Amino acid sequence: MEVSKLLGFLLRRGVKAAVVVLAIVVCNFLLVHAAPGDPASVIAGQSGAADAVFLEQLRRQFGLDQPLHVQLWIYVKSVLSLDLGFSHRQQQAVSLLVLERLPATLLLTGAAFVFAVTLGVTLGALAAQRVGKWADSLITVVALTFYATPLFWVGLMLVLVFSVWLEWLPSFGMSSVGADLHGLAVVWDVAQHLLLPALTLGLFYLAVYARLTRATMLEVADQDFVKTARAKGVPEGRILRSHILRNALLPVITFAGIQAGQLLGGSILVETVFAWPGIGRLAFEALLARDYPVLLGVFFCTSVMVVLFNLVTDLLYAIIDPRVEVAG
Amino acid sequence: MPAFTVKDFWRRYRRNKGAVVGLVVLLLVMLMAATAPWLFPGSPWDMASAPFLPPGEMGMLLGTDSLGRDVAAGIAHGARISLLVGAVSTAAALLVGVTLGAIAGYLGGFADDAIMRFTEFFQTIPSFVLAILLVAIFTPSIGSVVFAIAVVSWPPVARVVRAEFLSLRGREFVQAAEVLGKSRVSIVLTDILPNALSPIVVLSSLMVATAILLESALSFLGLGDPNLMTWGFLIGSGRSVIRLAWWMSVFPGIAIFLTVLALNLVGEGLSDALNPRLARQRGGAA
Amino acid sequence: MTVSRRGLLAATAAVPGLMRVQDAQAQGIAPRRGGTLTTMLTPEPPVLQIGVNNQGPTLVIASKMFQSLLSFTPALEPIPVLAKSWTISPDGKEYVFTLQEGVKFHDGQPMTAEDVIFSIMKFHTELAPRARAVFALIESATAPDPLTVRIVLKQPFQPFLLMFDASACAIVPKHLFDGQDYRTAPAVQRPVGTGPFRFAEWQRGNFVRLERFADYWKPGQPYLDAIIYRVVPDSQSRRLAIETGQAQLTQANDIEPFDVPALRAKPNLEVNVKGWEYFSPVSWIELNHRVKPLDDMRVRQAISMAIDRNFIAQRLWFGVGKPATNPVASTTRFHDAGAKVAAYDVRAANALLDAAGHKANAQGVRFTLKHLVLPYGEIWSRLGEYLKQAFRQVGIALELESTDAGSWARRVGAWEYETTINFVYQFGDPTLGVERTYVSTNIQKVTFTNTGGYSNPKVDELFATARGSADPKDRQAAFSAVQKILCEEVPQIWLMEMAFPTIHDKKLRNVITTGLGVHTSFDDVFLTA
Repeated sequence: MEVSKLLGFLLRRGVKAAVVVLAIVVCNFLLVHAAPGDPASVIAGQSGAADAVFLEQLRRQFGLDQPLHVQLWIYVKSVLSLDLGFSHRQQQAVSLLVLERLPATLLLTGAAFVFAVTLGVTLGALAAQRVGKWADSLITVVALTFYATPLFWVGLMLVLVFSVWLEWLPSFGMSSVGADLHGLAVVWDVAQHLLLPALTLGLFYLAVYARLTRATMLEVADQDFVKTARAKGVPEGRILRSHILRNALLPVITFAGIQAGQLLGGSILVETVFAWPGIGRLAFEALLARDYPVLLGVFFCTSVMVVLFNLVTDLLYAIIDPRVEVAG
Repeated sequence: MPAFTVKDFWRRYRRNKGAVVGLVVLLLVMLMAATAPWLFPGSPWDMASAPFLPPGEMGMLLGTDSLGRDVAAGIAHGARISLLVGAVSTAAALLVGVTLGAIAGYLGGFADDAIMRFTEFFQTIPSFVLAILLVAIFTPSIGSVVFAIAVVSWPPVARVVRAEFLSLRGREFVQAAEVLGKSRVSIVLTDILPNALSPIVVLSSLMVATAILLESALSFLGLGDPNLMTWGFLIGSGRSVIRLAWWMSVFPGIAIFLTVLALNLVGEGLSDALNPRLARQRGGAA
Repeated sequence: MTVSRRGLLAATAAVPGLMRVQDAQAQGIAPRRGGTLTTMLTPEPPVLQIGVNNQGPTLVIASKMFQSLLSFTPALEPIPVLAKSWTISPDGKEYVFTLQEGVKFHDGQPMTAEDVIFSIMKFHTELAPRARAVFALIESATAPDPLTVRIVLKQPFQPFLLMFDASACAIVPKHLFDGQDYRTAPAVQRPVGTGPFRFAEWQRGNFVRLERFADYWKPGQPYLDAIIYRVVPDSQSRRLAIETGQAQLTQANDIEPFDVPALRAKPNLEVNVKGWEYFSPVSWIELNHRVKPLDDMRVRQAISMAIDRNFIAQRLWFGVGKPATNPVASTTRFHDAGAKVAAYDVRAANALLDAAGHKANAQGVRFTLKHLVLPYGEIWSRLGEYLKQAFRQVGIALELESTDAGSWARRVGAWEYETTINFVYQFGDPTLGVERTYVSTNIQKVTFTNTGGYSNPKVDELFATARGSADPKDRQAAFSAVQKILCEEVPQIWLMEMAFPTIHDKKLRNVITTGLGVHTSFDDVFLTA
């Protein structure tokens, strides 16, 4: 693919993505502000004592005394200059709060994603190859089981087995606090904490990818170009790898792009069960406390990530399937 | 696309053993939901016995919860609400998704572009986060839960329907209808839609399953309707006492699992029965 | 386990004899230096600067970094902390505090009377509604010398000393706040106090670490090297942490009541429900008197009699806390054991409702009420479900509405509810913590005022008498009279004197020594080997 063509593609998609993100910013702002309750009354409520002066002070400080459209305009302006605002509740810049939590979520969802995609595609391919055999049935049953079980339920069961009964793995948190660790020991420590949450989040999507891969592979295997290849005497292994799997991956990739956002949503549940310090929980707590700037910051951040991820999958798509035109 | 008879359909469906099992399970769940008021008269909220009774003790088949309420009664009554939430939210999502998808796919051009951007927009916001936000805004109640689930589940329908319409609108029978001067609405409703039904039917069985899972996840976070007994509520309330009373969350968990599994199996059976090409492969090998 | 084995320095330094109320509790075991205490914080506070935020979790952690002039015994007698001694003039209007010598802030600056006056007159008066209300009574606050603070009140106010606990009036460094916006000053992010532990690190969503302050004014103390507060949002994970020894202490709402019996049975753990005497919250069903027929006293009495408080205390709270008998907690001063609400009696309740003219329809329903479930955790949902059943017995259909903390606070503050659950801290004295819920002068559209809208001139008058009187005997008479009236008119339906389990490893000593329990400095807490 020519470089100029690629750049043009990126530019067009970039502009489009920016428009989508901006629309999301505006809609999110309106949605969030449609929620009853304001941060001042929550703080007042939880302080155990309040008076009108206190509420008034807080509202003025948060800018809640301005009309809504003024608040929106101020917010959009600041987002355009990449300033996500200030959380008066936590007395911190929102970008700092989000950036502080983002790595944990990226680690969790990234690990879950890699786990789900690699194992899911492998299992799906295995099942498709052995269609109707016991291995296929087993994989299908396992995938269906994970698919049909509530995410948080799986998490609870894993904790019960691996933390409570076997005492192999820690049940919550991201690292052992207070243990003075360095270098590889830190990595090992985090990895131990990561295993259960990533597994919990990953199992559901593993099921999704396994089923999707199996289905698309069966579909592709039935198509003419595969039959032709077979008729020409191309070895079965090569047909599988370079004809079937390659083409079957296309819908899987599309799906992965769409799913990126869902993965982040699912991490709210997992982060709650495992006390994982990520942005999913940050968003949920911010919602309950009506900490609007933080909530909007998390939304903005996830939207940008999903849009970026979609861009990447489009590119990948083009690389895997040269027939697809790189077009807007 | 060849016309099906019910007999054909059933013959194909029956070939998938899993789908038959799924259908039986689903029918049993529906039966339980329908007969709950007779099986367990009175309110499932009534304190029936001592709290935290293990299954089987004092006539409590599946044990009691922290207030001495019968878990079995909760599951039977909960089936009504869980199925209702699944069905109503799916119906609402279908209505929106099919309408938008049909318009986008049939008209193409600007309408298509606008609708697809709109759909993309919804798919960019993590759906679970959006659902939580909507329920919080409208305060948790059965209505807001159904609404939130419907809002987050229509985009895939729109996409699928659009794709079907895109491929169908160029077919001869549609062009023939256009030449004959049929109105657009009638072409969409009587010519294209019936031919696009099979993926919609398959998708909706999965959507009911997803809706049930979503409702349980919302209840898990304490965002369910507090006046209604649902499976999600049962797990949510049993979750924190899981080591004290495992039965409180295990049995509703199994109920969700079985129902969702059954719906998925039925979906696969429908897919097989409605897409004979794929079914042949599966059937041929089974 | 995070107990480090280093630093077995014996604490031999002489400690002022006055300070060792706690020694009796140490059961003859010599305090041991060293070790890190890992505990939990639920939910994570938004900021750690007391004053800027005064929520429960903030008080727990900030009380290790900040101190005030006094603390209080379980019987609410004052104990010296930053004030070495004090005198009160016979007319009850002049308070003179003599401060401890050699007290330093964590940044090395000495703490003087100027800091104390700044904290009282400016910092807390500006930030905290509770302090504002009481400190408005101060006519003058002066510092005759750097270690003496003289406060003159406009009128006698007998509960005045109760305001000098760290949770109400922590002493903050004037040099880090004066002339700035207190809420946004840099010190808010890195709190600086005089407490035995100083702020070290806060990884949001993960943990806060406090470390030993070497220049603490009590020689040789504190004993612990560090305290780590982990943020664990899931209650079962918290239970697991204390069970497996990943944490050595839980407090406040960390552990759900239904987990308490199992933890009581653990030989290595100690479960204590003391240490809340200063706060003593009483929970109640809050009725909005603007909603008919809740303005009818007979209806309120009937509702009160329809509630089985023993069931609530035993079955829902598993014995953590006890049934409330009147609006003033039994640990709060001036509680009158003679004033009691009518006992649980469903038949009498039904009779009262019949007499009030509320006939049941064919479904056995007299009328329908909405109930806004308190969104502070699962137990309150269970309580809502119980109330639904209890109300049903007397023919009242209770329709539950669930909500989140944001909406709850707004709706109660705006009087947009029919019934809900509420509880407030009593701060040791009915004038400080009880009056606000019942006097008509405090009917405001703000949470934790008299949001129910109850109004009785006699009650207003009695509370005013008790507030303005300098003689405890007169105050007792007024409070006894008011408790009697309130028990008769049941403006709100009191449910429980709440308690919160403090659960700790038996190796951890001196955890609960005062009426403030885990909200004290922990300068005498230590881990045995």
